[in-house]
Amino acid sequence: MTARDRILSAIRATLGPGKPPAQIAAEAAALLDAPDAARPRLAAPTLPEAFALKAAALGTSIDRIASLAEAPQAMARYLDAHGLPPRFAMQPAPELAALDWQGLAPHPGSAPDEPAALGLALHGIAETGSLVIHSGPDNPILLSFLPLHHVVLLREATLLPYLEDYAARLSAQAIPRNAILITGPSGTTDIEGSYVRGAHGPGFLHVILIADAG
Amino acid sequence: MTAPLKAPFKARAAAALADPVLKIAIDRTTGNAERKRAAALAAFPEYESARARGQAIKDHVTAHLGHYLELFERNATARGAQVHWASDDAQARAIVTRICLAADAKLVTRAKSMLGEEIGLPHALADAGIERVETDLAEHIIQLAGEAPSHIIWPAMHRTREQVAQLFKAGHQPPPAAEDPATMVQSARRVLREKFLSADIGISGANFLVADTGATCTVTNEGNAELTTTPPRIHIVTAGIEKLVPSTAHAFALLRLLVRSATGGEMTQYTTFHAGPKRPGDADGPEEMHIVLVDNGRTTMLGDEFREMLRCIRCGACMNHCVVYRQIGGHAYGGTYPGPMGSVLTPVLDGLAASRDLPHACTMNGRCAEVCPVGIPLPTLLRAWRRRSWREGLEPAPTRAGIGLWAQLARRPRLYRLATRIGLPVLRLFGRGGWISRLPLAGGWTDHRDLPRPAARSFMDEYRARQRPRQ
Repeated sequence: MTARDRILSAIRATLGPGKPPAQIAAEAAALLDAPDAARPRLAAPTLPEAFALKAAALGTSIDRIASLAEAPQAMARYLDAHGLPPRFAMQPAPELAALDWQGLAPHPGSAPDEPAALGLALHGIAETGSLVIHSGPDNPILLSFLPLHHVVLLREATLLPYLEDYAARLSAQAIPRNAILITGPSGTTDIEGSYVRGAHGPGFLHVILIADAG
Repeated sequence: MTAPLKAPFKARAAAALADPVLKIAIDRTTGNAERKRAAALAAFPEYESARARGQAIKDHVTAHLGHYLELFERNATARGAQVHWASDDAQARAIVTRICLAADAKLVTRAKSMLGEEIGLPHALADAGIERVETDLAEHIIQLAGEAPSHIIWPAMHRTREQVAQLFKAGHQPPPAAEDPATMVQSARRVLREKFLSADIGISGANFLVADTGATCTVTNEGNAELTTTPPRIHIVTAGIEKLVPSTAHAFALLRLLVRSATGGEMTQYTTFHAGPKRPGDADGPEEMHIVLVDNGRTTMLGDEFREMLRCIRCGACMNHCVVYRQIGGHAYGGTYPGPMGSVLTPVLDGLAASRDLPHACTMNGRCAEVCPVGIPLPTLLRAWRRRSWREGLEPAPTRAGIGLWAQLARRPRLYRLATRIGLPVLRLFGRGGWISRLPLAGGWTDHRDLPRPAARSFMDEYRARQRPRQ
C-alpha cells in the first residue's frame, strides 16, 4: 500500500464515502456569500485614493502621471531624488521598450546587487494597497526581488477593489507559475521586534500611478 | 540559558524562569504582538464575522479532506508539479533527501516552514551531507546559534540584539560594522544573497494549498521565499495535508485572519502562489517543482477528539497571549510547536507518554481560545489530553494516589467533613500572618506562591452554625 492509499483510505474510513463533487463545490462557494460582511471597508471612496492610502501607510511612495508616455520622466525624477545612477533594470515588456527613455539607460535582467528596477503591475488591489505581478516570458520574478529600489508602474484602470476580485481572475487555466501580491517594501521584525526595511527584497517600493486608461 | 531539549519539561521550565534576559526578550516580542493585533482588530469591525467564516472554511475542508487532496493533486500535476505523499515524518524526510541526492545537490536554501521542523528536515539534510542555508532572518540567527525555533512566527525571539550581534560577528564574513538591527539586517542580506543565487534546490513550506488551481501559497514579509524558490533548478514544497483550501478566494479569507492575528498587519508584504515549474518561455523559475503532502498524525486527529486542531493556521496568537508561554518561552516546551497549540500538537507528534506535562502546563484561563482566529477550543483540547493521560495511566503514582484519595473522600460527605475538621487545624499551624508560605509535601506549590491561611472552621460547619438559631 502506498502512502497515498494509506492516507486517502484512512480519511475515507473516518469520513465515509463523501458527497458528489458538485455538491461540495456548491457548499464551498456558499461559504463566500455576502463577502462584505467579512472584509474591511475600502479606505476611501475611489479605488486610486483607497489604494494610495493603504500603500502609503506601508511605506510605499507614490507618484502620479497622466499617461504611460510620461514614465521615463517619472523614473528620472525618482532616480535623481535618491541619487541613483541612470542605469536600471527594466522588465522586458514591449510597451516599456517602446517608450523614449532619453538620458536613462534601462537594461534587461537584474544584477544580484541592482540598485533599481522598473516593472509594470498587472493590477493593484485597493483593499490592501497590493500590487499584482505575474511571472512570464516578459516578467522575470527576480526583477521584483533583487533590486534595492523597486519602481512599479500601475494603471488606475487596472485597480480592483478587493482580494476576491483578483481571485476571480486566477482560474487553473489563467494562473501563471508565480502570481505575487506585493504589499509594501521588504521588511523584518526578527531582531527584538524592531522594524527594518530591505530584509531580502527591495528596501524601497515606489508606485507610479497612471491615470490614463490607454 | 535553556536546558537541553532532552531534559524533562519541569527542568526546562525552571531553567527558563531563572533566565532574566529571556523574560525581557519574550516580553518585548509578545507584548508588541499583542498590542498590534488588538489595533488591527479594532480597525476591522467585521472580524467576528470573518472569524466565523474562516472557521467554516477550515471545517468544510476537513469534512471533505479526501476530495480536496485528490483535486489538489490533479491540478498541481496538470501545472507540471510532482506530488508525493508521506504518511509520517520519516517518509517525508526520505522523499526530500532522495530528490536532493538524485539532483546531486550540494547547497539547499530553505524558506521558514514549521512543517519542515516538524519532520526533522534540517537534521536529515545534514545527515545526507547537504549544506542547508536558512533564509528567513530569524531562522538564519538560530541556525548560527545551533538552536530550534522558539516561536512559530518569530523563531529567534529569545535572542536579544546583543546576542544576535555576537552570532553575526562570528558567522558573517566580513562581520557587520555595527550592532544596530539595521546594520545587522544589511549584513545578513549580503551574506544570504550569494547563497540564494548559487543554491541547487530551494525548499519552502506552504501557508495554503489551493485545490482548484493546484498552487501552493507562501507568505513572507522579507521576500526570502521568492528568492529561495526562483533561482535554483528545483523547488520542493513540504506541507501538512490540513493546509488545503478550496480556492484562491478562500485562501484570502483566511489570510485576512492570519496576518492580523500573527503580526497585526493587514497583508503580508509578499503573498505568492507557486503553480508548477517554469513554463516554456518563462524568464526565470525552477525546472522542477515537487510537493510533499505530509500526514504525520493528521488523519488520526481527523477521527478523534482533536479534529478541531486541524483548523490551525499557525498564526501564533495563542502563544503571544498565553501566561505560561510568556513566562517560559518556546524552548521549554521541547516540541516543534510551543504554547497552547503546541501543547495540543506535541502529544500527537511525540506521543503522550513523552509530553504529558505539556497539557498540564496551562491555567485554563481561556485567552488562547479567545484570540484564536479559527475558534479552536484549545483549553478543551488540553483537558482532553489530561483525561487521556489519566485513562492511560500516565500520571505519576503520587498524583494518582492523591487524586484517588480525594475522590474517595469527595464521594463520602461524612468522611469528607471529618477529614476537613481534622485537616484544617493542622493546616492553620503552618500559617504565618494570614498566609502559608511553606508546607511539607506541597513544595511544588508553595515554592512559588503562598496559600491563604484557612478559616478556623470549614464552610459546612460555619453554615450549620449560622442555620441553627433559625430552627
